[in-house]
Amino acid sequence: MRRRIAIVEDDPAIRANYADALGKHGYEVSAYGDRVSALAAFHARTPDLVLLDIGLGDEVDGGFTLCRELRTLSGTLPIIFLTARDSDFDAVSGLRMGADDYVTKSMSLPHLLARVSALFRRADASGAPAPGESVLARGALTLDLNRFTVSWRGQGVDLTLTEFWLVHALAKFPGHVKNREQLMGEAHVVVDDSTITSHVKRIRRKFGAVDPRFDRIDTVYGMGYRWKPES
Amino acid sequence: MEARKLSGALGLRAKIALVALVLLVIPWVGYSYVNAMEQLLRRNQEQQLAATARAVATALQDRPQLMGLRAAAAGGGKPPAAATLSEQLQILLAGLARAGLRIWVIDSKLSLIGTAGDLGAPAPAADDTITFGPIERAVRAALRPVFERFLETPVSPREEFIPNDVVFGGREVERALDGATTLRRRPAPSGHGVILSVAHPVWVGDTVAGAVVVEENTDAIVSMRNRAFEQLVAVTLIAFSAAALVLLLFASRLSWRLRRLRNEAENAIDSQGRVRNLAAGEHARDEIGDLSRSFSTVLERLAQYNAYLENMAGRLAHELRTPIAVVRSSLDNIRLQQPPGETGVYVARAEEGVRRLETILTRMAEATRLEQVVRSGERERFEVQTVLGGCVEGYAAAYPGRRFKLAMTEERVSLRGAPDLFAQMLDKLAANAADFSTGEAPVEISLQRTSTEIVLRFSNTGPPLPAEMKNRLFESMVSVRKDRPAGDPHLGLGLYIVRLIAEFHGGRASASNRADRNGVLVELRFPATA
Repeated sequence: MRRRIAIVEDDPAIRANYADALGKHGYEVSAYGDRVSALAAFHARTPDLVLLDIGLGDEVDGGFTLCRELRTLSGTLPIIFLTARDSDFDAVSGLRMGADDYVTKSMSLPHLLARVSALFRRADASGAPAPGESVLARGALTLDLNRFTVSWRGQGVDLTLTEFWLVHALAKFPGHVKNREQLMGEAHVVVDDSTITSHVKRIRRKFGAVDPRFDRIDTVYGMGYRWKPES
Repeated sequence: MEARKLSGALGLRAKIALVALVLLVIPWVGYSYVNAMEQLLRRNQEQQLAATARAVATALQDRPQLMGLRAAAAGGGKPPAAATLSEQLQILLAGLARAGLRIWVIDSKLSLIGTAGDLGAPAPAADDTITFGPIERAVRAALRPVFERFLETPVSPREEFIPNDVVFGGREVERALDGATTLRRRPAPSGHGVILSVAHPVWVGDTVAGAVVVEENTDAIVSMRNRAFEQLVAVTLIAFSAAALVLLLFASRLSWRLRRLRNEAENAIDSQGRVRNLAAGEHARDEIGDLSRSFSTVLERLAQYNAYLENMAGRLAHELRTPIAVVRSSLDNIRLQQPPGETGVYVARAEEGVRRLETILTRMAEATRLEQVVRSGERERFEVQTVLGGCVEGYAAAYPGRRFKLAMTEERVSLRGAPDLFAQMLDKLAANAADFSTGEAPVEISLQRTSTEIVLRFSNTGPPLPAEMKNRLFESMVSVRKDRPAGDPHLGLGLYIVRLIAEFHGGRASASNRADRNGVLVELRFPATA
């Protein structure tokens, strides 16, 4: 069965380009230019994955509204915000609305495709047990590379795809310093340094919510970050 | 900012005080008035004396036998009648004389035939019923010594006898005996005061039988004049002081308000380019209020413009992102579609162009993003050496062609802020120093601590700064770079970011040419906290 992806984007050129690229990769794509028509279509039939722009025509925050409405339709439907807005505030708001990832439009298509397929894998694997080889365990940290889930001391940590890839990049070789460029490459993003900084900050906070004494991610000033090995 | 001194000009207060000097015309007018009044009183006194003299003379004309007294006595007529006549004359004169008024009568042979009254009578007591109130009295009492010094005090001329020179040498008597009424002021014999005398001829038939001389001292008028003058001085002084005080208070308040407005207007744009509204005189309904409000309007417009400029980079980045996404996704689609052939070269070039554009966008957005982070303002305490040490170590790897020399104080130096941001600031400084650095000399980085400040310096050899740019280097989108390497765009945001982060840590950034004119020194000063 072909996966159905919905794109909600008000710029027709970008909409068509994304639709073409995704279609070429075997997805069934439906594209919408505004919130109302998209919502009507979603009520008729829920897609398997949604790419959302935040500003939709005259609705400045139309994407946020649509995201909330989609979450009432389905709690597990993967949603990616794909937007020109790159402020931390928008990213945090978007993720708080229940989106699975938040990326800017500067993202290249191959990177986007990687994300889409990763999210599908995550959705598929959520039911099935994890095969042994796709699990990365580093002390109290367990990364499930199939489902893109993370647990710390047995408790799940709810990370976005980008955050997951960042943690994976760091924890793969504990003690090794990864600079920001390396981290961007691993997380399939092209952003500025301070975005990486805020990503790391957010990751620390999420681990901190599970374990207040969490201090594994070290900042090595002038170089990057590293995963502190188990002492 | 220190209030600027008004140079070479009078302050508002001094000017109003000068204008208040116009009030000094009041005592002058008062003085003239008192003088005029004195003249009037003197004339009045003269007329009164003349009238008295005429009355006595007329009375004597009606009784020529009184004048003929001596002649009759000499003639041996009726001796007993002489005493009676003399008594009659005395009674007549006594009836007209009063305190301070002396009347005497002489016959044509200059012998005194009768006198009455006394010049030495006490001057009328100072009348204190005419007064302007206790304050005026108090001021007058306080000024008494001054008045006594400058005003001539009336002294009753204690002239017991009519001096001979007045009788025999007095011109008025001579002229009276010639038949003319004359008036004379002569100094009292004691040297103080003036005696006014009027001589009137006594006609018997067609001949002058003698003269009546009426004398009065002028004490009453002098003391009245003095009193009026004293009161004038006291009242003027009080009025002048009160008016000056009120004017001074008014002027002080006015200049205080203006000064406050001036200072606020001067400080309305703070070091970070933010504009504050003016609070001074905001609600005042006068011209100063108007001025304040129009200042506020102007500043508001300036603030909007500033915000517009500051957000320009961010907004531009945001606006450009969508069309660039169109180009990029189209290029990606071409790549996905075709096997790389001849078009592949052009696609690669286009992609390189887009990549460069995106670098620009990322840099432009970086400042905006940073502004947001700085505004949210999460702070923690961190040790500067750790961050600086780590960063400088990293730079050796990041800039293989350059050497970095780090000198840090032994003392533990800590700041409250964000270590990540601090590191970002160091990155910008290092990039800046490395880019401009020429020759083999290393980039020198030093950290010092004084009692009040933490000083961080980045010094590199290289071309000196253009003088006109020195103060603008830390503004948004200002750059002194001339030759830019292709593919490595510079927007002049690096040092702006440095400034933002330095200010987030409470510090100031400045750039100057090194003393040896052989390079540039960027200096950051942070307040040292315990």
